[in-house]
Amino acid sequence: MHSKVTKIILGTIGVVLLIAAPLVITDRYVQHIMVLSGVYVLLAVSWNLLTGFAGQLNLGHAAFFGIGAYASALISMHFHLSPWLGLLCGGLVASIFGGLLGIPSFRLSGPFLAITTIGFSEITRMVAMNWVGLTRGSLGLYGIPPLTPIKLGQGTSIEFTTEFSAYYVILALIFIIVYVVSTLHRSEFGLTVESLREDEMGAESIGINTSHYKLAVFMISAFIAGTAGAFYAHYERLISPNMLSTGVTFSIITMVMVGGIGTIWGPIIGAVVLTFLSEGLRFVEEAINLDIRMIIYGVVLALVILFMRQGLVGVLSGLGRFISRNPERQT
Amino acid sequence: MNILEGKNITKRFGGLVAVHDVDFTLQSGEILGLIGPNGAGKTTLINLISGFYAADEGSILFKNEDITRMKTSDINKKGICRTFQIVRIFPKLSVMENVKSGLVERKRRGPWKVAFDSLTKPGGKRSGKGRSDERAAELLNMVGLYGYRDETAENLPYAYTKRLEIARALGTNPEVLLLDEPTSGMNPKEQNEQIDLIRSINDKGVSILIIEHVMRVIMSISHRVMVLHYGEKIADGSPKEVYSDPRVIEAYLGGEARAEH
Repeated sequence: MHSKVTKIILGTIGVVLLIAAPLVITDRYVQHIMVLSGVYVLLAVSWNLLTGFAGQLNLGHAAFFGIGAYASALISMHFHLSPWLGLLCGGLVASIFGGLLGIPSFRLSGPFLAITTIGFSEITRMVAMNWVGLTRGSLGLYGIPPLTPIKLGQGTSIEFTTEFSAYYVILALIFIIVYVVSTLHRSEFGLTVESLREDEMGAESIGINTSHYKLAVFMISAFIAGTAGAFYAHYERLISPNMLSTGVTFSIITMVMVGGIGTIWGPIIGAVVLTFLSEGLRFVEEAINLDIRMIIYGVVLALVILFMRQGLVGVLSGLGRFISRNPERQT
Repeated sequence: MNILEGKNITKRFGGLVAVHDVDFTLQSGEILGLIGPNGAGKTTLINLISGFYAADEGSILFKNEDITRMKTSDINKKGICRTFQIVRIFPKLSVMENVKSGLVERKRRGPWKVAFDSLTKPGGKRSGKGRSDERAAELLNMVGLYGYRDETAENLPYAYTKRLEIARALGTNPEVLLLDEPTSGMNPKEQNEQIDLIRSINDKGVSILIIEHVMRVIMSISHRVMVLHYGEKIADGSPKEVYSDPRVIEAYLGGEARAEH
């Protein structure tokens, strides 16, 4: 009971801090990084769902991010659909492609599936680059409408063109999605999904239709990444094929690995830490005039895999156990 | 009554005929031993029955229903469950979670329905105190692993993982259990415990097909024994008959038996 009360108190403090953050941190640049890290939180959570929980090695996650962004941007530009609905549409379109990519996973696993997903992601990038009539190619799409203001009547309304208000939108999305994913993880669904990762033949032998579950997880994961993409498109109002590159995928993977793969908090912590670290490194790069960010990402990833398999979450919970001196307590 | 029946089953891998024109029956309530030298096609036969392979020829009937080309998970839902020669438990999950993952409440619900239920009926089945916990506890007690329920499965000694796999299989409420070398890698004491466990499962009305290399085990546990050799059935009868069948002796002692002629 004691730990439950502590959890509720810590949770409440956390939520209050998150809500109050942009009121205290008024620097627009820092607020922008906060929004950006929120987008990466969604991407990391969704990749972790597919690879960390279900064990389906996806090395093309940027494709879902980009598809969601392009879909929502194009729909709102050409059909004048509300960007709010665009968030949903971006997710839905991405989840259709997620389903398509899920089909080869019925028969492929591990490195073979990984290569298929890289191929898929490169194809989407090539389409975005070369279908100039639709996507304007490498110039990217610009003039994407922002999230429409919410009218509060009597001439007052909430605008969503600032970093400040965008922060609350992404925060709300994170709350909803993390709630859904963690509830699923704790339930029968999560257990079944993890059994796919643990041993597919074993799972099939006890009546789990592994193909159906893989398809479902691919679609849910792609939906989340697509929603993140749609939000990003209406926030930045400029998207380019760069967001479909494997570099984006590997950033997401590094975040999850650093935070702790196969956990609920790992991807969230990893995404925030690395987004801020990456922005910090930008200044270092400018100072020494050398492109060292990806090198550092690679080194960090290698070190984590070698020495810190459970990521920051593993380190933190180990630390927590050490402080509370209660080795029986479960994380 | 035949609960499981195979007719003229043949399975080829390229030029190799792993199982050739095999007929077999499993009576309801019976323990059928399946023996044969290495490479005789025993595991292939279990893979065929459980749907991991599809037979090239012949058919497999479960309660007179053709299951030859069904998917493994559907065959399990019909009431057949198997274990593996090299255990396929879920190593990173707890012992309790391993057993829960096999419980039947998931049957006939697709993943979307399961996800929806998981969201709308919180206090989930994974760690909560639902019906499935009682059933899982019962199964763990049966195989003597309840004391290890919160242990990560990969930390169990090998003999226990074999028992855990059996408990997980029983969670799917099978009418037929296919056991692929359930006592391999065990010491004699553990083997005896395993024999008792298999008997007690059988006493509850589960029909069992068991592959085993340890003759002492197979002879003491089986009601009937079937022998495969190079993919063909060479004997089928009571343990005593099979044990003294000259063809079986030759199959096992091959070279030496022939050298005497």
